[in-house]
Amino acid sequence: MFLKGSPTERNKSDVKDLFVKVLLSEYFIVFFCLLIFVSLMPVTPHIASRANINNIMSNLWPLFIIAIGQTVVLIVAGIDLSQTSIIAITSVVGAAIMTSKADPTLFEKSPLWGWFLTESGGPLAGEPAAIYAAIFVMILIGVGIGCFNGFFIHKFKMPPFMVTLVSQMLFSALAIYLTKSENIIGLPKNFKAIGSGSIMKIIPYSMIFAIVVAVLAAILLNKTVLGKWLYLVGSNPKASAVIGVPTGKVIIFAYAFSGFCAAMGSVLLSARLIAGRPTLGQTMLMDVVGAAVIGGTSLFGGKGKVSWTLFGALFFVILANALNMMKLPFYVVDMAKGIVIIIAVAFDVLRIEIKRRTNVM
Amino acid sequence: MKRALSIVMLVVMFAVLVTACAPKPEPAAAPAPEATPAAAEQPAAEKKLKIAFAYQDLETEFWVAGHKAIVETLKAKGIEVIEFNANEDANKQLEQVNDAIAQKVDGIIIIPQDGESAVAIGEACNSAGIPFGVFNRPPSNKDAKALVAVADNVTISAKAMEHMALEARKVFEKTGKKVKPLVMVGDLGDPNAVGRYQGFKNVYEKNKDIFTEYIEVPTKWDSNTALANLKSAMAANKDVGLLFCGSDFLYPVIKSVLEPLGKWQKIGDPNHIIMGAVDGDMTAGKLMDEGYVDATAVQDLYYEAELILTGMLEAIEKGEKTPEKWMDDPGFALTQANMGEMKMRMWGNKLRQEKGEL
Repeated sequence: MFLKGSPTERNKSDVKDLFVKVLLSEYFIVFFCLLIFVSLMPVTPHIASRANINNIMSNLWPLFIIAIGQTVVLIVAGIDLSQTSIIAITSVVGAAIMTSKADPTLFEKSPLWGWFLTESGGPLAGEPAAIYAAIFVMILIGVGIGCFNGFFIHKFKMPPFMVTLVSQMLFSALAIYLTKSENIIGLPKNFKAIGSGSIMKIIPYSMIFAIVVAVLAAILLNKTVLGKWLYLVGSNPKASAVIGVPTGKVIIFAYAFSGFCAAMGSVLLSARLIAGRPTLGQTMLMDVVGAAVIGGTSLFGGKGKVSWTLFGALFFVILANALNMMKLPFYVVDMAKGIVIIIAVAFDVLRIEIKRRTNVM
Repeated sequence: MKRALSIVMLVVMFAVLVTACAPKPEPAAAPAPEATPAAAEQPAAEKKLKIAFAYQDLETEFWVAGHKAIVETLKAKGIEVIEFNANEDANKQLEQVNDAIAQKVDGIIIIPQDGESAVAIGEACNSAGIPFGVFNRPPSNKDAKALVAVADNVTISAKAMEHMALEARKVFEKTGKKVKPLVMVGDLGDPNAVGRYQGFKNVYEKNKDIFTEYIEVPTKWDSNTALANLKSAMAANKDVGLLFCGSDFLYPVIKSVLEPLGKWQKIGDPNHIIMGAVDGDMTAGKLMDEGYVDATAVQDLYYEAELILTGMLEAIEKGEKTPEKWMDDPGFALTQANMGEMKMRMWGNKLRQEKGEL
């Protein structure tokens, strides 16, 4: 129809090239987020308001932190389903340490009652260092559970899916047992600030937490030998063992780091809701694994980046926010979410296929 | 090239964050909120009110009927209703309410997951200056200012339990054996569950001469938990003679446990367990008609919906941004003794009538 080399044909070719470039770009999911965001602006103008962007950001940080841990585990070709239970158990233990009150009607049957938790609160109730101590213990528990997972996966060659699924059940049940399924309230005001406060009303504390964890993870993955080992173990565990990589220690480290990230996420979520909750994070698993995978981290190991996970988390947060903004009937929201996720995944598969063909050719 | 693109994207994202998080400029001479009723700013005909209704789930008849009453009443008044379902996730509900705040709604009504999350959500609404209402499940404390419509759970549960205790006394006098009570307790993080449990205990304490020690069965307001725990309790205590449950929605669970044991019997049968629960839904109405249930502590659902809506609309009309009022629904107890006069006051029976069942 068009003459070869004519301006119209060149324009068509340019558009096609641009489309392929966008599709193949590692920032594809960011473009997809922008597409959702911009296309909704005419119908839901509030989506671009400062208050809403603020919301999106405050919802992003806890998910991002937790998904970073999941990314590191996925890089070693594992998966950590126990992150939600780590969030729950660390939330109740941290809260029990620093709470200033506990209602005997609710807690007298708790195994913590009397020696750890009393009517006047936890062991560090009212102490200035209570928050730091509680966060420290939360991280310790998170890392401990991560080591537990890593140990069983490495030592007994058990499938990560099974080990972390069992951990999920075990530690979720423990969180419920410890509190008899009650929420622990009476947390210090300064702890609440971690979830909703900011420095000079500009930079939220939760964002600082997220940036610190992200930078740590990025340095770990990109600038250290351990980072290289993580990718090697994920790509080919047998070969990495042959060349002297301590695969066992690397796997245990990956799960410990995942536990650390889940505990950090738990700090932010508990602070937001001003309570230690034994059911905290129960519904987050899909978003956490999804954020890492949609960002570009491979489920088969050896591939993943912190920045990709940021984009994946952003995608989930923007999607949830956009669906809320669209005033859809509640039963349509989850269906729409599922459809958009499947479209994003389909695009991801398509671009991997294009990349493969390009490389073959 | 990739590195440059990364840097550009990070700079753009950071700029967006800082812009988003920067403090909002204060209006130069903003009049006091109380002095500028919303209605006065703009004629009602021009401005369509927007109210967000965020609920934890719609699992039971009570919540479904409450949801319907609130949404239909608001829509009938020409008010736009934005609905959010948190699927029993407190963090998700907080995020949804924050999204509603960003949409600049005129008021927010919630059915919270529990009393604690109601406080955190209420504080977010208070900070945004948006009137905040809680339907039926009250906040665990008064840290956040809220309009709260809630049943007097202690009193209505005690009234229903008093009738059940009278029936138990008849059994005691007839057989000379003390009656063993069993109480199915809801999620004690929910002040309603605590109130209902307290109502049961108050009457139990007054009638200890005819009761043995009671058996407590935790349900967490979850059918599966209730089923597992009730099965265990009944296996260990075959002589249970009275069963008080925190909510009517668990009747199907109770029936599924008692029926195989031959204990699901009508009043008058020697194997009948004196039974009662709280809410007043359609199932309870039917079971009372059939003679399986002795008493129901009734929350006046429609009255509570009316209380919260009236309070909310009044607050919006007056331009109040953080109204605070706890409004009690006195409720009542429907028993086999007062069925004739009180039956049609129960919301579950009204629904049955609407459906042509009565």
